[in-house]
Amino acid sequence: MTATLQGAAVRGAPPARDVLLDVRDLRTYFHVLDGTVPAVDGVSFDLKRGETLGIVGESGSGKSVTALTVMRLLDIPPAEIVEGSEIWFDGREILSLPIDEVRLIRGKDMAMIFQEPLTSLNPVFTVGDQISEQVMLHLKVKRREGLERAIESLRLVGINSPERRVKQYPHELSGGMRQRVMIAMALSCEPKLLIADEPTTALDVTIQAQILELLKLIQQRTGSALMLITHDLGVVAEMVDHVVVMYAGEIVEQGTVHEVLLEPRAPYTMGLLESIPTVEKRGGRLSAIQGVVPSPFNLPPACRFQPRCPYAWERCSSVIPALNTVASSGRLARCHLHASEGAGRLPAALEHHRRAMAVGRGVAAQSAES
Amino acid sequence: MTKELEAPLGAGALSDELRRRQEEAGADYEVSLESLSQWQLAWRKFRRHRLALVGMGILGLFVAIAIVGPFFMPFAFDEIPDPKVITYAGNPPSLTEEPFGVHPFGETGGLQRDVFLLVVNGARTSLLIGFSSMLIGVIIGTVVGSIAGYLGGFIDNLLMRIVDVMLSLPTLFVILVVARFFKDAKDNVWSIILVFGVFSWMGVSRLVRSLFLSIREREFVEAAKAVGVRDRRIIFRHILPNAFSPIIVVATLIVAGNIIGEAFVSFLGFGVNPVNPTWGNILSNSLTYLLVGNWWWPLFPGLAIILTVLAVNFIGDGLRDAFDPRTRA
Amino acid sequence: MAKYVIRRLIQAIPVVIGITVVTYGIMLLAPGGPEQRFANNPKMSNEARLKFIKAWGLDQPIPIQYCRWMGLCDPDGEGLALLRANGVPNVFPEALGGGDNGVLHGQLGFSIDSGEPVGSRIGRAALPTAILAGFALIIWVGIALLMGVLSAVRRYSFFDQAATVFAYIGFAMPTFWLGIMLVFLFGVQLDLLPISGMIDIKAGSPAFGSEKYWPYFAEDPGRALLDIGRHLILPVTTLVVVNIAGDSRFVRASMLEALSQDYVRTAKAKGLPGRVVTFKHALRNALLPVVTNIGLEIPFLFTGAIVTETIYSWPGIGKLTIDSIRSFDYTILMGVLMITAIIVVLANLLADILYALVDPRIKY
Repeated sequence: MTATLQGAAVRGAPPARDVLLDVRDLRTYFHVLDGTVPAVDGVSFDLKRGETLGIVGESGSGKSVTALTVMRLLDIPPAEIVEGSEIWFDGREILSLPIDEVRLIRGKDMAMIFQEPLTSLNPVFTVGDQISEQVMLHLKVKRREGLERAIESLRLVGINSPERRVKQYPHELSGGMRQRVMIAMALSCEPKLLIADEPTTALDVTIQAQILELLKLIQQRTGSALMLITHDLGVVAEMVDHVVVMYAGEIVEQGTVHEVLLEPRAPYTMGLLESIPTVEKRGGRLSAIQGVVPSPFNLPPACRFQPRCPYAWERCSSVIPALNTVASSGRLARCHLHASEGAGRLPAALEHHRRAMAVGRGVAAQSAES
Repeated sequence: MTKELEAPLGAGALSDELRRRQEEAGADYEVSLESLSQWQLAWRKFRRHRLALVGMGILGLFVAIAIVGPFFMPFAFDEIPDPKVITYAGNPPSLTEEPFGVHPFGETGGLQRDVFLLVVNGARTSLLIGFSSMLIGVIIGTVVGSIAGYLGGFIDNLLMRIVDVMLSLPTLFVILVVARFFKDAKDNVWSIILVFGVFSWMGVSRLVRSLFLSIREREFVEAAKAVGVRDRRIIFRHILPNAFSPIIVVATLIVAGNIIGEAFVSFLGFGVNPVNPTWGNILSNSLTYLLVGNWWWPLFPGLAIILTVLAVNFIGDGLRDAFDPRTRA
Repeated sequence: MAKYVIRRLIQAIPVVIGITVVTYGIMLLAPGGPEQRFANNPKMSNEARLKFIKAWGLDQPIPIQYCRWMGLCDPDGEGLALLRANGVPNVFPEALGGGDNGVLHGQLGFSIDSGEPVGSRIGRAALPTAILAGFALIIWVGIALLMGVLSAVRRYSFFDQAATVFAYIGFAMPTFWLGIMLVFLFGVQLDLLPISGMIDIKAGSPAFGSEKYWPYFAEDPGRALLDIGRHLILPVTTLVVVNIAGDSRFVRASMLEALSQDYVRTAKAKGLPGRVVTFKHALRNALLPVVTNIGLEIPFLFTGAIVTETIYSWPGIGKLTIDSIRSFDYTILMGVLMITAIIVVLANLLADILYALVDPRIKY
């Protein structure tokens, strides 16, 4: 079970008032039979009240673990939140809070919706029971009022005839409806922060759109902040203000959605965007990022993306790149290209990326060699 | 994947660089997969399971005792050397010559036989019964389950109803009744084996049947059929190999259950004729003498049974984990 | 729901018919069939013997024998005689003009040893077994649940490891051996607990269930209950240890499975306290397979009772069974077999119904 972090003596100062969530140098390691997995390895970002943050990455990048750490939902052995990590929520550092106090926050001020709505809902209790239980716990109301609030939240998420639905069991609802129920449950106590972990991945495309609409609507109405975790760049483009791109447990790029998606500066992000097929690339080869995600037990010595990076050079396998500020903006990218040592190589890389985005890799290669 | 590396990158220098690095890095690029067969994988996992290895050790020991034990004993179990001290209740365990003679497990009451010898000799028949009856049960069960699962329809229904009936009968009860019929025969070991075998097949048949049902629908069976592979081949090459692992696990449970079952039936006097000692029939009559203080007589054969069953259970656990695809090798 | 029950009952009929066939078949296999046993029994008068042969059709071909034994065929008629002389099917109740023979009319025959009607003999043995099995069931289920849940919640703790050791050893133990050892330890060596029978004869209690017993009971219920209670301790312990060993592991596994489900994570994410998460969300789901399992294991209480009653001379159905097997008292045996088999079928049905009630996902 989770326990308090010991001796969080050296602590920073609380963040500014309008910053709801401030994650500082978070490291979450897992101790398993074969070794230690640095699932989240030095992640820092913040989220202002009412804003939307997107965390993007592929499976294994550490994005879900980050969210679970924020909610303190990890089982402490085998997980370990390394000393020095800090998470500030609503003015309090929550990693050092005893678990009883965290429970007061969970479900009330911060709520989470998960990827697979069928298995995330308890099959033996009605939908109404599951929502009202949370309401009764946090808002200290009686059963009848709890049920009424449950009906209200079902209505809020767009479920028709909520009085009837409230008595149904999860297996009697469709996938989209179940996810709406999850959202209703998360919102029932009007949280300040809503974390959504791949909320639409398990749903049909048409339902996906509806659910995303719903999330946006609700966020506007209630003013809560939204942390959206996904691997789908399209979803990111639609929904978020800021983006954090994660790879192998680290943040590789950070910035506004426009900056990151339209003008990516980290090679990984560039690779991701290049691999999106578009009309212009017709006739070229479908490109993908070469190689595979490294095994957590066998991480590359310095830059974790180096083995797959088209722009890497000797420095990349010997010196760990820091999150460097990209010139002329406030954003960050973890790449030597943006440090002084890489400045010379930067223009070529950007040009290569621009070409690849324009016409697809194969065609770009042909035209370059001809 | 490392090989087909045409230069996808624009600027020539970058592509050379990449190619060179990929060639150098080699294995860093791909996770190399050792490909092991299901059996090799299972053996690896089994080896890691400490309890299962202990079980194998114990069982091996008992099998060895069963096979060669009696030859090393100073006298046969039913020879009664002059008991040093004649007592009604038998003499307690002693390792010294005086006053009772060397009897590591003591003597029985009444006939004052050496318990150690009885246990050693009993190992043979008890283990034989346990394993043979399991084999019979597994064979019958596999055949019945295969037929039911593969043919389906009316035959399936009929066979499963029969299984239901057999399962509704209190097994021990029926075994007792049937065993009673053979009680007076002199050498009824095989009758007992048969009786237990005939009542052990139901679980296996259900298991095999459900395996057949689930596998029958899978695509690779359809594919095989489409290519024209004959039914029989499908059964043997494709379906049965998948069935081995769960059957083996159930088989260990059957062995354990039958050893205990035989012990009880023999204890009551309905089992194997005492001419052939088993751990169970050694215990018959021991209750009377227990009441006058003879605790060693029932204790040691009982411990033998417990150890054997434990060993078999451990092996079963190890096998179950070994064949479970979710556990890591 | 009612439809489901009726449907399952109807499905059970072929199984019950099968049971009767097997029961009869076993009797046929027996060396020295019923007639011979009767012939050698000095307690049966010649007249009674002839009546018995006629009623059971022992001079007729086998199918007719079975038919008469079941009560489908008229023993007064010729051949199959499914209809009585008055045209009414023999299987109908006597009041409606049908016959009065056979199982279907409640006629299970008479004990070959004592001449007592089978029904009443079994009835006499039923109460002691019911008491034994009833207590055993409660203790077994209760402790198995407790141990299993605690083991799962405190996984790998000392308690869990101790419970695991206990489970392995208990499971490997032959019940009768445990009984014997307990008899020795508590009865002989320590002389703490009674090891035989249901009541203390030396203290003056009449035999359980006999005519003199009930007034004795009414005189001082506390004393009588205490007496029975003391006698229950060892037999119940013997009976339940093996079951607890097996079931506690099953409960543990089921509980662990439930605890690893996504909805447990959701429950925690809602801020629910740990106890609520474990005992409301996880346990409720973990109980589903456990309920079925226990329902299916109830018949094993009977098997266990055979063992236990033999060792402790408990005057129940188990002891009756063993005694009847020893003396080839067929009628009693067949009666017991039929009754226990039918109870097994009913227990399975009950388990299914319980499961359907408890799991909202099951449609019936």
